[in-house]
Amino acid sequence: MFESFWRPTLTDLYWFSPELALVGTLVTLLIAPMIVGRSSRNATWIVVLGTLVTILLSWKVGGDVRSAGLSGLAPPEAAGMLILDNMSVYFKIVLMVFMLGVALLWSIGSAKKEKHAEEFLILLVGSALGMILMAGTLNLLMIIIAIELASLPSYAIVAFNKRNRRSAEASLKYVIFGGISSAIMLYGMSLLYGLYHTLDFARIAYGVVADLQAFAAVDVSSVAQSVDASMPAAQNTVAIGVALACFLAGIFFKIAAVPFHFWCPDVFEGAQIEVTTWLSVSSKSAAIVLLLRLVDTFSSATGAFPGGASLSALTGLAWGLGIVAAVTCTWGNFAAYRQNNVKRLFAYSSIAHAGYMMMAASVFVHPDSPLDYSPIAAVLVYILIYVFMNLGAFGVAAMVVWRSGNENIDAFHGLGRRAPWLAIPMLCCLVSLVGLPPFAGFIGKIWILLSLGASGGGLYWGLVIVAVLNTLVSLFFYLRIVKAMFFVDDGQESFTPPISGLAMVNVCAVVLVLMGTLFIEAPRRKAEFYASNLFRPAILKGGMSHAENAAIDATQGELLRLTEGVARIEGERNRRSDRQAQTP
Amino acid sequence: MADWIPNILTLMTLSPLLGIFFLMLIDARDHKRLRLMAMVTSLATFALAIVAAVDFSRAADAADRWDAFHLKSTTAWLGDSVGGVVDIAYRVGVDGISLSLVLLTAFLMPLVVWGSFSSIRERVREYFILLLLLEVGMLGVFCALDLFLFYVCFEFTLVPLYFIIGIWGGPQRRKAANKFFIYTLTGSVLMFAAILFLAHHAYVTNGIGVFTLDILKLTAMGQQYLIPYNVQWWLFLAFAAGFAIKVPFFPVHTWLPLAHTEAPTAGSVILAGVLLKLGTYGFLRLSLPILPDASVRFAPMMATLAVIGIIYGALCAWVQTDVKKLVAYSSVSHLGFCMLGMFSMKMAGATGSVLYMLNHGLSTGALFLVIGMVYERYHTREMSRIGGLAKPMPWMAFFLVFFTLSSIGLPGLNGFIGEFLVLLGTAASGTVSDNLSAGRLGFGYAAAAALGIIFGAVYMLLMCRRVLFGPVVEPPGTPDASQGLPPDLNLRERFILAPLAIVCVVLGVWPKPLIETIQPAIMANVFQVKQDLQYAGETDAVAPEVIFAVDAIEAADDNDGERSS
Repeated sequence: MFESFWRPTLTDLYWFSPELALVGTLVTLLIAPMIVGRSSRNATWIVVLGTLVTILLSWKVGGDVRSAGLSGLAPPEAAGMLILDNMSVYFKIVLMVFMLGVALLWSIGSAKKEKHAEEFLILLVGSALGMILMAGTLNLLMIIIAIELASLPSYAIVAFNKRNRRSAEASLKYVIFGGISSAIMLYGMSLLYGLYHTLDFARIAYGVVADLQAFAAVDVSSVAQSVDASMPAAQNTVAIGVALACFLAGIFFKIAAVPFHFWCPDVFEGAQIEVTTWLSVSSKSAAIVLLLRLVDTFSSATGAFPGGASLSALTGLAWGLGIVAAVTCTWGNFAAYRQNNVKRLFAYSSIAHAGYMMMAASVFVHPDSPLDYSPIAAVLVYILIYVFMNLGAFGVAAMVVWRSGNENIDAFHGLGRRAPWLAIPMLCCLVSLVGLPPFAGFIGKIWILLSLGASGGGLYWGLVIVAVLNTLVSLFFYLRIVKAMFFVDDGQESFTPPISGLAMVNVCAVVLVLMGTLFIEAPRRKAEFYASNLFRPAILKGGMSHAENAAIDATQGELLRLTEGVARIEGERNRRSDRQAQTP
Repeated sequence: MADWIPNILTLMTLSPLLGIFFLMLIDARDHKRLRLMAMVTSLATFALAIVAAVDFSRAADAADRWDAFHLKSTTAWLGDSVGGVVDIAYRVGVDGISLSLVLLTAFLMPLVVWGSFSSIRERVREYFILLLLLEVGMLGVFCALDLFLFYVCFEFTLVPLYFIIGIWGGPQRRKAANKFFIYTLTGSVLMFAAILFLAHHAYVTNGIGVFTLDILKLTAMGQQYLIPYNVQWWLFLAFAAGFAIKVPFFPVHTWLPLAHTEAPTAGSVILAGVLLKLGTYGFLRLSLPILPDASVRFAPMMATLAVIGIIYGALCAWVQTDVKKLVAYSSVSHLGFCMLGMFSMKMAGATGSVLYMLNHGLSTGALFLVIGMVYERYHTREMSRIGGLAKPMPWMAFFLVFFTLSSIGLPGLNGFIGEFLVLLGTAASGTVSDNLSAGRLGFGYAAAAALGIIFGAVYMLLMCRRVLFGPVVEPPGTPDASQGLPPDLNLRERFILAPLAIVCVVLGVWPKPLIETIQPAIMANVFQVKQDLQYAGETDAVAPEVIFAVDAIEAADDNDGERSS
C-alpha cells in the first residue's frame, strides 16, 4: 500500500524549493528571537533574505521550463496537488517582489514602535505562502487549504493593532465573511466531488464539459419525443450550476468581487496601512490567478473532445463571470466616488481593478485557437503593473498618513508644495490607475481590452464598452486626490519623508512611466512566455488511453459514449491520413 | 541622412523633453534662467520643425510626390510589428496637412512662452515644464501615423493642460479644469473602444489579418470598401464622440467658454490655436478616409450641426461682456466652418477647412495674447469696466483691430481665404468636380453659414468699439505698473505679436504655396486614397498584403482543406 503514497525525490524537493524557502523563513522567524533576541530589525532582515532566496529559487527553477503537477495521494484522485509551471513561477516572483516592497514600507513605518515584529512578519509570510499555493494548484483539497492558509493569517494581521477598535471590528467582519464563504465553497466542492468522484479539478472540468455538451446536444424536438431521455442531463446541469456557483463564491470572496466585496472597504480601513497595501494586491491577484487556472482548465477540457465539444458549452459560465466582472468594476468605481477616507477609496479602487482583471479571466479561449493575445498573459501583465501602481500610491498615502495622522483626503491638501517628490509619483500612480497614457496602467488595460476584443462576440465587446466607460467613472475619484494635492492648499507645513520611502515610490513611478512608453512590449513578451505551457493534466489533452478513461468514467455512461465516439473519429481520421499518404 | 541620426520628426517631437530635463536642473527660484531655457527650447523645436519642412519639400521634390507621406519612420514598439499578429508600432510621417499644423504648433509655442514671461510669476518651472510637455503631445498627434501613438498623444495633451488651467487659471479654475478633463475624456474613451474595434476588424478582414493600428493600412482598408456600412456607422459615431468634443462641436461645446475664460493666456492660446485642431484634424485624418461611406451619410447631419454652431456661437459671442468669453464663443463659431468645409466632400471645402484651422490658430491665438496683455494691466476683461483704450495703448489698439479684421475675414488677410473656400466648397458640394462624386451639402448650408460671417463682423467690431474707442474707462488703480509694465505694449510684447501679424498678411496675400502643399495631400490622403501610393518607400513586409492578395485566399483555402481532411 505504501507504493501508492508519494515519496518526494530530491528533484521534487528542488522543484518546490521556493515554497520550502518560505517555510524556512517562517521557521527562522520563530526561532530567531530565542537565539538573537527580539528585534524588528533582525526580523525584517530575515524576511528580506528569505524573500530574496525565494525569488532566486523560483527564478532558477522556472528558468528550466517545466510544466508538471505533483500528487500527494494516489494519483488519479489528487493529480495537480501542487503545480509547477510558468504561471506559478511568475506569480511567486511578482508576489515576492511585492512583499519586499510591503516589508520596506512596514520597516520605515510601524516597525519602529512594534513590539511584536516577528509575529507580524510570520503572519505576513504565512499568508504569502497560502497565496503562492493558491496560484499553483488544481486540486479541490489544496484549493481550500491554500485559501484558508492565506485567509487565517490575514484575519489576524488585520487585527494586529489590538488597541484599535476599528481593527478589531474589521477583523471580525473579515473572519465572519471569510468563514461563510469558505463554508459555501466547501459545499460547492462537496457537490462537485459527489458528481464526479474526484478532487482533481481537471477531471471535474472534463466531466462538466461533457455533461454540458450532452445537454446542449439534446435538441428541442428530441425532448418533445422523450422527456425521460433528457432528464438526467438536465438535472445534472442544475447540480453543476449550483456546485460551480458555490465553488466560485469562495474565490470571489478572495477577489472581493461583487457581491462578495463587503468585507473589503471595512478591512482596508481598519487595518494598518501596510496591511492594506498587502491585501490590496496579494489576495486579489492570487485568487485571480487561481480563477485563470480554472478557466483555462475548462477551456482546455473542450479541447479534449476533438471536433466535438466547443466553447459554446461554456457560454453560461463565461456570461456569469463576465457579468460579475462588469458589475464588480462598475460598483467599485461608483462606490469609490463618495469616499473621503483614502484607504476606503483605494479599497473600492482595488475592487474595480479586480473587475478589470476578471473581465479577461472570463474569456474562454479554445486551446487550439491560434490567437496570440492570451487573456492570461494580459492579466499577468496587469498584475505586475498593478503591483507597482498600488505600491506607489499606498506608499505615498502611508507617508502622508503617518505624517498627519489623518486618513482623509484633506491630508493631501497642498502636497504638491509640501512634498513635491511624493506628489509627483502619486500623480503618476493615480493617472496610471485611471488608465491613461503614457503610463503603464493604460498598457495593462490595452492588453486586457485586446484580449477581450480578439475573442469577439457580444459579451466581450460589451465588456470592452463597460471597461472604457469605467475608466471615465474612475477618473472622478482619482482626480479628487489630484485636486487635493495640487489645486488646494490650506497651509499645512511641508515635510521631508524618509529617504527610503521616497526612493520606493519614485522608483514605482519611473517603472510605470517606462512600462508605459519605452518598454511596452517587453513585459508582455515575458508574460506571454509565463502564460504559455500551462500545466494541463493528460486528460485535458485528450491523450489518455481508452482504458484509463473507461476506469475514470465508469460511472458516466454519457462521458464514455463520447470518448468512444472520439476514438471512432480518431480511427477514421488515421485511416484517412493513411490513405492520403498512400496516394501521392 | 546618416543612419544614426533619428528621424527628424521624432527628434522634433521629443526635443522639448531635453529642455524639460535642463529646466529641472535649474534652480526653481531663478526665474530669469528658467524663462530663457524654456524660450531656447521652444525656439529649437521651431527650428527643427523648419528643418522638417525643408526635408519634406526636398523629399517631395525628389520623389515628385507632394501628395504622399514623407519623412516616415517605423520602429517596433508593441506587438510584433513585422509579420506578427499584433501590428502596432511607433510610426511617424507627415503630409501637407499635418506638416502645416506641425509648423503652426511649433511657431505658436515660442510666442506663447515669451508671452508668459510677465504673466506667470509663481511655480515658473512647473509651468514651463507642463507647457513643453503639452508641445510634445501636440506634435506627436500631428506626426503620428499609428492610431496607438495618435491616441496616446491625444490623451496625453489632457494632463498638462488640466494642470495649466487648474493651477495658473482664474478664480473658477478648478471647475474649469475638471469640466475640460471630464468632457474630453468622455469622448476619447468611446473613441478608444472604436479604435480597438477597428483594429479587430482589420484582424478578421480577409487579406489583412493583422491586428493593426497603422493609419495607412486602415485608410486603405476603408477606401477599398472592406468595412461594412453598418460597422462604419457605429465607428463614425464613436470617433465623432472623441473629436466633436475636442473641436468643440455644437451640442458639446459647453466646456470651451469656461476653460478659455479661466485658463491663463498661454493656456487659451494653445487651446484655441492647436488643441481644438486635434479634433478637426482627427475628422480629416481618420473619420473621412477610413469611414468614407458613413462620412457621406452623416455629412448633412454634421453640416447642420456645424451651421447651428456657427450661428449659435456667433449669437452667444454677441451678448458676452467678457472679452475672452467673446473670443471663446467666436471659436465655436469658427470651428463650425472647419467642419462644414470638410464635410462638403469637395477639394475647395476641405482645403478651406485646413486653411481655416491654421488661420484660426493664428488670429484667435493672437487675440488671446492681446487680451492677456490688456488683462495684465487692468486685471479685468469686462467690457463695461474698460473702454477707450486706443488712447493710452495705441500699439495694442493697432494689433487688436488688425487681428479682429483677420478673424472676421477681411480680404487681404488670412481669414478670408479659408472662409471663402469653405463657402465655395459647401455651395458647390452637390456638383461632380475634381473627380470627386457629389457631396450632400448645398447652397442652403453655405448661405446659412455666411450669416455667421456677418454676425462675426458685428460682434468683433462691437467688441473693438467698446474696448478701444469712446471715452477712456479704466478701473481704479490701473493700469497696474507694479510688474514693470508700461501703459502701452512694450517691445517684447510688440515682438510677440508682430510675427503673427506678418504671417497673417503673407497668408492673406500669397496663400498659393500653402494651398499647393495642402491640396495634393487632401486629394490623395483624405478623399481618394490611391492604393499604390500607400506603401511606396515603406519597409514593412506585411504591407503589400493589404490589397486582396490571391495567395492569402489560397492559403485560407489550403487551411480549410487540411481541416476537413
